[in-house]
Amino acid sequence: MLDQKDLRPKDMGRSDEQLIKLDNLIPLLTPYDKPGMESPLTDPKPAWKEKYCTSLDGYIGIDTLTRPKTKEEEDEFVRKFLSGLEKIFSDANNGVLQPLLLSFEYCAKCNTCSDACHIYTAAGNNELYRPIYRSEVLRKIVKKYFTTSGKFLGGFVGADIDVNWETIARLGELAYRCNLCRRCAQTCPLGLDNAILTKEIRKIFSQEMGIAPTPLHTKGTMLQIKTGSSTGLSKPAFLDTLEFLEEDTEEKFGIKLKFPVDKKGADILVLHNAGEFMAWPENPVAFAILFDAAGLNWTLSSEIMGYDSVNYGLWYDDVQAKKIATMQMKVAKDFGVKRLVVAECGHAHKASMITADRMGTDRLPVESCLPLLWDMVKSKRLILDPSKNNFPVTLHDPCNVVRQMGIVEPQRNVLKAICPQFREMTPHGVDNYCCGGGSGFAIMNSANFPEFRTQVASRVKFNQILGAFKGTMEDTSTPKYICAPCSNCKGAMRGLLEHYDATEKYNLQYGGLVELMVNALVSLKKPFLEFLE
Amino acid sequence: MILSIIAYLSIVLFLGISVYKAYQFAGMPFHGRMDLYPVPKEKGYEHGGSYFEETAWWSKPHEVSHIREIIEMLKEIIFIKKLFENQRPFWWISYALHLGIYLIMAWTILLVIGAMFELNGILVAADSSSILGLLVFYLSIVTGYIGLALGALGSGMLFLRRAFDNTLKKYTTPQEYFNLLLIFVALITGIFTWGNDLSFGYAREVTGNLVTFTPFVADGLLTLHVVLVGIMLTYIPISKMSHYVGKYFTFHKVLWDNNPNLKGSGVEQQVKNAASFRPTTSWSAPHIKPPVAPEK
Repeated sequence: MLDQKDLRPKDMGRSDEQLIKLDNLIPLLTPYDKPGMESPLTDPKPAWKEKYCTSLDGYIGIDTLTRPKTKEEEDEFVRKFLSGLEKIFSDANNGVLQPLLLSFEYCAKCNTCSDACHIYTAAGNNELYRPIYRSEVLRKIVKKYFTTSGKFLGGFVGADIDVNWETIARLGELAYRCNLCRRCAQTCPLGLDNAILTKEIRKIFSQEMGIAPTPLHTKGTMLQIKTGSSTGLSKPAFLDTLEFLEEDTEEKFGIKLKFPVDKKGADILVLHNAGEFMAWPENPVAFAILFDAAGLNWTLSSEIMGYDSVNYGLWYDDVQAKKIATMQMKVAKDFGVKRLVVAECGHAHKASMITADRMGTDRLPVESCLPLLWDMVKSKRLILDPSKNNFPVTLHDPCNVVRQMGIVEPQRNVLKAICPQFREMTPHGVDNYCCGGGSGFAIMNSANFPEFRTQVASRVKFNQILGAFKGTMEDTSTPKYICAPCSNCKGAMRGLLEHYDATEKYNLQYGGLVELMVNALVSLKKPFLEFLE
Repeated sequence: MILSIIAYLSIVLFLGISVYKAYQFAGMPFHGRMDLYPVPKEKGYEHGGSYFEETAWWSKPHEVSHIREIIEMLKEIIFIKKLFENQRPFWWISYALHLGIYLIMAWTILLVIGAMFELNGILVAADSSSILGLLVFYLSIVTGYIGLALGALGSGMLFLRRAFDNTLKKYTTPQEYFNLLLIFVALITGIFTWGNDLSFGYAREVTGNLVTFTPFVADGLLTLHVVLVGIMLTYIPISKMSHYVGKYFTFHKVLWDNNPNLKGSGVEQQVKNAASFRPTTSWSAPHIKPPVAPEK
């Protein structure tokens, strides 16, 4: 095992059992700065070492990446990777060729991007997670196999890496130590984007080698294409869930709620992350209450692909992303609505409004829920009482919605209007840090990966939260609310608060934006937020 | 004569290869959106906002400021703004090199202008009676002195920093040291060649001879300098030092390109064209096959 400070890109080919061990995480802020407030990081189990690739940092992100049993399997693995690597520079990859080549060719290695990365920072400036480390490994392999200069000049041009099973498997794992938040790209003086290269590695593994984390692929996009939802929620189950939620809402709040489903003549088709119906049902309920209160002509769809906005292909596989985006758009168009509104799910925002924007023509307009919600508040279509939300609230900016789409103000305008104790995180807006759940991390729960997500990837975010609530944390009678208008971000928050027992110990709560809005409705007789009861 | 050919050829190659690279990037296939905010042309640039902050955004005019886009680009080109904001210590030496290069380019143009003036009887000297002659004389001195000094200092410091910084040296290939060294040596030989005449009269005389293909006696140092500059000018556009080409595309065509695919728009036409393309290569994973209808 190497001291991370000595780690070089070409060390990825070393035969060590594990390249580095994480041991120098940045300290957490008060009250988590006291000894014993955090469990130590664990070593991978011996059985995992034999089966998976734990030779990077001990963590397993890709549960389908298993060690070869024979030399032939090992050779085939390397061959397939190189075949895929060649293809990312071919016309099979036209949709990203220009951005890829620019980021691949021009890195000046000025290292400006490193400090922007929350994972590199959280891990105590660990060399392995430096944004250019991963990119440089990829460049070395490309140069070695696919450039004339690399073949003739070798180490002089950087083609000095041993390529074997370990190198490739580690690189695959390393592609899942980046949240694809693109914060590093904001700082690059040349406008280069390490996240593009990271995603290309993920794509080679999936699109060429058929290797991807089960939650993203088999239980993600494949399940969604087969059943209509990555949750596996079937149409009857979806309708049952809605019925249950209607009864529950009436029982709890006395509101006779009726979800409009497949309503003919509706203007708006609302697309939720189907995970909300299972994990945070109060979110779609709140949307329904607000949309009804504002008098919008809206509906949900019960058609397959019509009631789940997710598109995990965005994170690892362009082909899957395109299949899902195309199917979702078809359902919406067949339905005959005038526009789609994406509810609180960050990656679904980006998938349907940015990525899918150039995947076909004659598309229905797609809109974020956030400006619509602000419009309801601004136009006073909702009668709201901010004093009902008189507790500290901070806002987490989902990277997909904010940094990658430029939707910054509407959500904080709502909070400023309805939460008297709203305070920003530092930094915030387009400069905000990822929650640590981005690019699939939030749903990747195999082996010891949750430990990496919670204690490393989400670490800077947790400090941002603790910083935002500084001075109020110890007051356990006061709830502190992290508003995270994104399903995956909420998933990361859930893991974070559970791991640190922060709800139990410090009354730290989390949820979406619409829950706060409904809680502020004058017409609601009792608190919508359970923790206020 | 040979030195004149080297000078002309290297400039032609520098410009030609640079333009060809730009042409290649410009002709690359239409790609998906990869906007990254803040995007300078957007109305909400100050807070990083975009047209998506509006309700029914597709029905409203997309208000953009191309002036702001150009201003932000110029800040990046002239001052390397992002490096200044995010890594100040590195900016000092990187900017020294880049500012040095800009000034040397200006100095070279001034030398050519000065040489032309002198060939046409306009004296370029401190005692010139021509205002233009005086202007070119003094501007040549300012740009030449500062340009050569900053360029040599910047390339030398960048080389040393890469060689001795524990992080940077892990990522720097021998070729990248060579790149910096080539610039440094080309500039140092320039300083030694022209440094004997601080009024740059000799530099103007040589420039005049090079430009007009007039044979002249060149010593070893001058020959070495012209050859090194020729190699450098030819090598820069074929190496990654041609990032001055890439930078336009990374910002304007990738990070700042957020034009939506609306009906009747240019983007729509590009999407249609791209959709008609049939790739010659395909991916091999088992799940890569045409979309199938979902099971009802």
